[in-house]
Amino acid sequence: MSQRVLDVRNLEAGYEPGVPIVRGASITVGKGEIVVVLGPNGAGKSTLIKAIAGLVPITGGTVLLDGSDITAAPAHTMVRLGLAFVPQTENIFPLMSVEDNLKVACGILKPREIPARIGEMYAAFPDLARQRKTVAGNLSGGQRQMLAVARALIVHPKVLVLDEPSAGLSPKFVAMVFEMLAGIRISGVTILLVEQNAKAALAIGDRAYVLVEGKDRHEGVASELWNDPVVAELYLGQRRLDPERDRHSGKGSAA
Amino acid sequence: MNLQFVVDGLLAGSMIGLGAIGVTLTYSILRFSNFAHGDFMAWGAYATLAAVGAIGAMFGKIAPIAPLSFGWPLIAAVVIGMAITGLLALLLDLMLFARLRAKGQAIIVVMASFGASMALRSLLEFIFTSRPTYFSRAIQIAMPVGFGIRITPDQIALLLLTAVLVLGVHLLMTRTQTGRSMQALSQNAALARIVGIDVAKVVRVTWIVGGALACVAGVMIGILIQIRPFMGFDMLLPMFAAAILGGIGSVPGAVLGGLIIGLAEAGAVQLIGAEWRAAVSFIILMTVLFVRPIGLFGVRER
Repeated sequence: MSQRVLDVRNLEAGYEPGVPIVRGASITVGKGEIVVVLGPNGAGKSTLIKAIAGLVPITGGTVLLDGSDITAAPAHTMVRLGLAFVPQTENIFPLMSVEDNLKVACGILKPREIPARIGEMYAAFPDLARQRKTVAGNLSGGQRQMLAVARALIVHPKVLVLDEPSAGLSPKFVAMVFEMLAGIRISGVTILLVEQNAKAALAIGDRAYVLVEGKDRHEGVASELWNDPVVAELYLGQRRLDPERDRHSGKGSAA
Repeated sequence: MNLQFVVDGLLAGSMIGLGAIGVTLTYSILRFSNFAHGDFMAWGAYATLAAVGAIGAMFGKIAPIAPLSFGWPLIAAVVIGMAITGLLALLLDLMLFARLRAKGQAIIVVMASFGASMALRSLLEFIFTSRPTYFSRAIQIAMPVGFGIRITPDQIALLLLTAVLVLGVHLLMTRTQTGRSMQALSQNAALARIVGIDVAKVVRVTWIVGGALACVAGVMIGILIQIRPFMGFDMLLPMFAAAILGGIGSVPGAVLGGLIIGLAEAGAVQLIGAEWRAAVSFIILMTVLFVRPIGLFGVRER
């Protein structure tokens, strides 16, 4: 791993005082990497990245972005600091047009840069260009995710943080979203991603962490983590549907 | 039926509409019904009156701009009044609403606005007494413009002013980053913060815009009718009816709602008598809530 863009050390965070959900999690994201955070339901994955994004109170630990301390900076300053967050749901403004959704996120850009930057987003996401006047609430699920990601990328973030981008999407759109993320990565954007869909996420990720009970329990290269039997059995629910594992444990029949 | 009600209705509708813009913005962005909004009108009118007095004391008697009943001192005073009313709204938020909002119960904020309304009104009565007063006692001659309609130069000027202000606010909301931020905040406050919008700043702009427009509406009432501490409180029902009829959060909706209510009131005065004027807003409000609760330009929450 080269230079660390995001460095989270012993983070403790939770919605209520005295009830930490994230209990001493440490993760790092290197420049240009895609890092995936996996873990069972209730492990605190979403809480972890919401805390990083300034949306959940932090009670301990530090978050460094490019070496500077951004721990518990107010959420609305994160974009300026270089961290763009894409929430899992309700991540677009449903009554505004696609174009206004992009424009409203350009607050930190110089006014004369904005049209060109929106043009670049349209070039990267032709679907959005075609629907620029469409009210965002009328977009399909996949296009909404696309808009949410474009909106986050428009400010040249140092790191793009996504909370389960495939949640609630039909399989066709899930494939589309991961294809999009793989494409973004090629352009050199650093990505931190929380996902339930472990298989798809590990396929595009460089490294992954497994979070259990609010703590990082396992770290590894994404492709190796997928084949690690201990990790698979313990934490990756999806793995149980894998025919190879079923054969190995002697029950069920391979399709 | 005499068509004069059209002019009367458009004028009443302008005052209601300018007030309703503030009501609809406060409701959609801060998520509470501000019952003190009418009192911003009265404060705006009195602040403007005081500014006119101050300008008169400094520059002596200044002739009105013919054929209007007022001269540049009133125009300058309105700008001062708008600033004062905007600051008053801001101060009230800082002292009262922001603190209660932080506790997260909308109904408490609504009740507090009732209290603020009474306090603001009583303060006006204390300072200026409850006796009606006027910007000018000059009598304007209404010009016949055909179809049995008569209109005074003041009325024409104020209708034009309303049109300019409404267009200005509409452009602010749809063409500027501040306006888009206001829309964003009304649609999803959490996401607004995530995309980098400083919520506190947008809230301040909302109060200033709402307060300034309320001041203009108050001055219009002062020019065309009279100034008294209760002038704004009496506008509360028609303003809320207009905001709800237009669809909460919609600036064009609030204005159109205001005009419809103004015209309906003026028509009702002619058809069934002046004592029914107040009932009209109430009937329209109830009908909208039963038939189309989201209003004319409203959109269902998704």
